[in-house]
Amino acid sequence: MQLKHETGAPPQGGETPKAALPYLEIRDVQKSFGGVRALKGVSLSIEPGQIYHLMGENGCGKSTLIKIISGAQPADSGELLIDGKPVGHLTPVAALAAGIETVYQDFSLLPNLSVAENVGLTQQVVAASGRLARRLDLTQMRATAERALAAVNLPTSRAFLATRTDELPMATRQLIAIARAIASDARLVIMDEPTTALTKHEVDNLIGIVGRLRAKGVAVLFVTHKLDECKEIGGRAVIMRDGQKVAECDIADHTKAELGFWMTGKVLDEARYRAQPKFGEGLLSVDGLSLKDAFANVSFSMRRGEIVGITGLLDSGRNELARAIAGVVPADAGRIRLDGKDVTPRKPADAIDAGIGYVPEDRLSEGLFLEKPIEENIVVPVLDRLRGAFGILDGRRSRDLAKRSVEDLQVVTPDVANPVQSLSGGNQQRVLIGRWLTINPKLLVLHGPTVGVDVGSKDTIYRIIQRLADEGMGVIIISDDLLELLQNCDRIMVMRKGEVVERFEAETLKEEALYRALVEETTARTAQ
Amino acid sequence: MTDTTFNGATPDGNDKASLGSAWRWLLRHPPVVTFSLIVLVCLVVGAINTDFWQVSNLFDILRASVVRGLFALGVLVVLASGGIDVSFTAIAAFVMYTVTMLVTNLLPGLPMPVILLVAAAGGACFGALNGLLVHTLRAPSLIVTIGTQYVIRSFLLTFVGTALFMNIPGSMEAFGKLALFTHQSANGSISVLPAFVLVLAVAAVVTWWILERTLIGRAVYAVGGNAGIAERLGYNLRTVHIFVFAYAGLLAGIAGIMHVASNRLANPFDLAGTELEIIAAVVLGGARITGGSGSVIGTLLGVVLITLVSNVLILVGIPSTWQLAIIGVFIVLAGTVFSLRARS
Repeated sequence: MQLKHETGAPPQGGETPKAALPYLEIRDVQKSFGGVRALKGVSLSIEPGQIYHLMGENGCGKSTLIKIISGAQPADSGELLIDGKPVGHLTPVAALAAGIETVYQDFSLLPNLSVAENVGLTQQVVAASGRLARRLDLTQMRATAERALAAVNLPTSRAFLATRTDELPMATRQLIAIARAIASDARLVIMDEPTTALTKHEVDNLIGIVGRLRAKGVAVLFVTHKLDECKEIGGRAVIMRDGQKVAECDIADHTKAELGFWMTGKVLDEARYRAQPKFGEGLLSVDGLSLKDAFANVSFSMRRGEIVGITGLLDSGRNELARAIAGVVPADAGRIRLDGKDVTPRKPADAIDAGIGYVPEDRLSEGLFLEKPIEENIVVPVLDRLRGAFGILDGRRSRDLAKRSVEDLQVVTPDVANPVQSLSGGNQQRVLIGRWLTINPKLLVLHGPTVGVDVGSKDTIYRIIQRLADEGMGVIIISDDLLELLQNCDRIMVMRKGEVVERFEAETLKEEALYRALVEETTARTAQ
Repeated sequence: MTDTTFNGATPDGNDKASLGSAWRWLLRHPPVVTFSLIVLVCLVVGAINTDFWQVSNLFDILRASVVRGLFALGVLVVLASGGIDVSFTAIAAFVMYTVTMLVTNLLPGLPMPVILLVAAAGGACFGALNGLLVHTLRAPSLIVTIGTQYVIRSFLLTFVGTALFMNIPGSMEAFGKLALFTHQSANGSISVLPAFVLVLAVAAVVTWWILERTLIGRAVYAVGGNAGIAERLGYNLRTVHIFVFAYAGLLAGIAGIMHVASNRLANPFDLAGTELEIIAAVVLGGARITGGSGSVIGTLLGVVLITLVSNVLILVGIPSTWQLAIIGVFIVLAGTVFSLRARS
């Protein structure tokens, strides 16, 4: 064992004493999508009362594995056994009936139904084995909901039970999703990145809940990439890379660097990309920008060639601030000046005219026309400039522009006529950045620039960002990837409850301090 | 609101807050908006022409609401599940004409309950076919039902018949004439509330019960809220799709028979073109066109509002050609209010 550590070869499980019969066993499960092999034969055994952390980078196959366990998708081959009995492939109802509950990353709450219905209904649907011609037992539904809500320390008042879930804040929705998972007699609770929307205090609450579940013999499987949290919670680490399980071990026995190495196959490089920034004259000044119920009185300024990071939790107002700067959802008070000129956008076209490019967070729904060719996706903001004779689009110039952009950003594609959906996530993101570069923006706002992007592409995107800043563009990065901000920015602003609460110089900042600022413990208090 | 105007000491801010919360309450209870519009129309029309306040008028509106109401309840269920159905009038026309013809020619003595049962079953079959197509083709339900609407109507006119049926079966005629309530006004004129309004009442209660008190009802809203999530949570989309369209078809079949019974003739060209009006009534009642919401009470109010506008404006000298404009304005108005709800 010790030897394995030193050579860096990942351990392959078999370390825990075989005390209990595994509740769930997965044997050599494979799954492909089109030609892509998402799972190349994964085996895993889940024991009652144990905590697992399924770790790996985006695209390593962990979400596919979760979908197979929860019955959302069938495996192509391999076996699933519950209590030692093969179960074929699971449907959602069968998985729930077997006691497998999933807390999805998007919470999977029905927005138009009440809290009580969201928490208490599933139990009755499962009890009816999915046959729906049954009477709804309101009393049972309410009782179940009350019990589960109390277990996660949420209110159980009539008024709260009757509230629609889309009217609640993110953190509450997260807890409701957890309450639903434990409302019935779950034997395995899968939590897909459950702490993203939570504050430190709420994370502690969650850890308490997990402890109680464990004491009842319930297994908990976290899907996560937050190494710190895994270490705090403890349990077993299951590490995946490239569709395979590369390691399984007790999380306490290994350092973050080791775990990170197995996840990425690379030595974690935390070095800064930012080197010798050259700032020009003042570029942007934002004064007292406010939007009701989102953010208030945000002011900052930046110079040419500067990279400013903005972070905060989901409900901190960072997303709304980004959209306001881009004119997608305009602010209702305050000013944005670019080169001294008031350009406060009322609509996206205003921002584009002023020279503000905005790369949205959700490139699938907000940004790209997936079925359309790469070329059309790139040239769309500058169509008027490509007008040829009689106002008809000049196809050759459009194609040249797209080709230049694709080369410039190292998009891997044989032909700009291919649809954007034929590209990988990282390449799609570069197409989107390329689109905004066609307008020669003075300011580029990147919202979650590497969400769903693999490591190699991340590196390319970071280099592009640095190059753009060096050429004198101002860049704003809104992200919850703290390392990304530390590696790329000159300054970082932290938002909480709609206000900018901390401003840091990135060069000397430690991730630890930034994280604390993010999750409510004021750094001022802990530092002094 | 009267409370705050009485209380002179209320500071401005509080006043604004209560106005805001009243507004939010209103947005959360869309039928209130519909009801207010009904009251408004009644007051305006009644003030101009006092003839409006007559029992016979109320009876007329109720009578005219039955077929629309049955259609609208079906549309409500489909809309709540996130779909849309425009084939229900074609289903109703097919069922009413075919059933009337078969009963007249083959089984003239068939009692009314059996006729209703056959019509309901026929309508449900057509509806289930819609649901199956929507589910298996994964096609937008608007497109599918536009298609089936044309096919059903063409089939009716080509193979079943185009001639008017004036001699409807005795049991249907008797049912149409059956009075629930007879009222004699001061000037001696007699007005009758037909018993078939009870069919709508029963359908409304049953629909309410299904939507609010059964698992399938909650599943309809769940799927309308977000089909992908509902599927993950164990709701069977196929069941829900087939159920909602079959239920809409069932109500359409019954509505067809009601239409024949109240008009005492079966015309295969009837009912065509009223689809949008019915969908408008449901949307006026607070159902979102994008699914996941809507209530039986709101739908009934929407139907009453549409019926009111089409029946009584003539009393105040507004030409019937203007009715459409007024309905149009109401729809835009209600649509705006309800979309504010979505944004808030």
